[in-house]
Amino acid sequence: MSNPKRLKAICDAGPIIHLDELKVLHLLSDFHEVLVPDRVWFEVTRHRREALNHPDIPFRKVILDKPPDGLLLAMSKAFSLDSGEIQTLSLALQHRDSLLFTDDAAARFVAEQMGFKVHGTIGIIVRAIRRGYLSAREVVDILSIIPQQSSLYIKPALLDRIIRDLKERFEL
Amino acid sequence: METMQIELPEQLYKAVNALVKNGWFRDENEVLCEAVRKFIESFRPSLIEDFILNDVEWGLHGDE
Repeated sequence: MSNPKRLKAICDAGPIIHLDELKVLHLLSDFHEVLVPDRVWFEVTRHRREALNHPDIPFRKVILDKPPDGLLLAMSKAFSLDSGEIQTLSLALQHRDSLLFTDDAAARFVAEQMGFKVHGTIGIIVRAIRRGYLSAREVVDILSIIPQQSSLYIKPALLDRIIRDLKERFEL
Repeated sequence: METMQIELPEQLYKAVNALVKNGWFRDENEVLCEAVRKFIESFRPSLIEDFILNDVEWGLHGDE
């Protein structure tokens, strides 16, 4: 198991925006560095002006000046990925030992095909139990307010199932 | 744009040809691109569900 405090994360816009909406963006401070491609940086700033100024999170804006890898470009076209998602995957190619965070299903599918370790907002929030940043009760409370407080869409039945499973697992 | 060579069963090949001949698509390439896109779209909801459940497991038991 690698030391999470030394792990780098690469973030697409979704998880930063959703964690900020849910007021748990600080969970990203568990990483050594959080790399954000310039296109994603722009996108996040447009929606959540202050999110990337969080004092405790080692966000680093990365400017990508090379065109994307050929395979990545082909897959991005086939899966209709946007420029931010393409940059996120390009950056992941340069930092293969990092975790990649996105909430976009197509971007995530492509990332998995390319062998990246990829997760999303829900994973980051639930991980906080394992890492000791939040109690299971707090995580359940945060998951419960996703439909009202966040633009992250999860099918209600799926969200209910996750909450029920966590409650059973942690005897809440 | 990348090139991919594929083998199609004859019936499927005829169906693709018919779509082009009848003017629905410019060429065979366009039919196949659209078919792949539709396939991906139709699987998106179940993909999302799998990803989220996988996230919960990683969140609880992942070793990073």
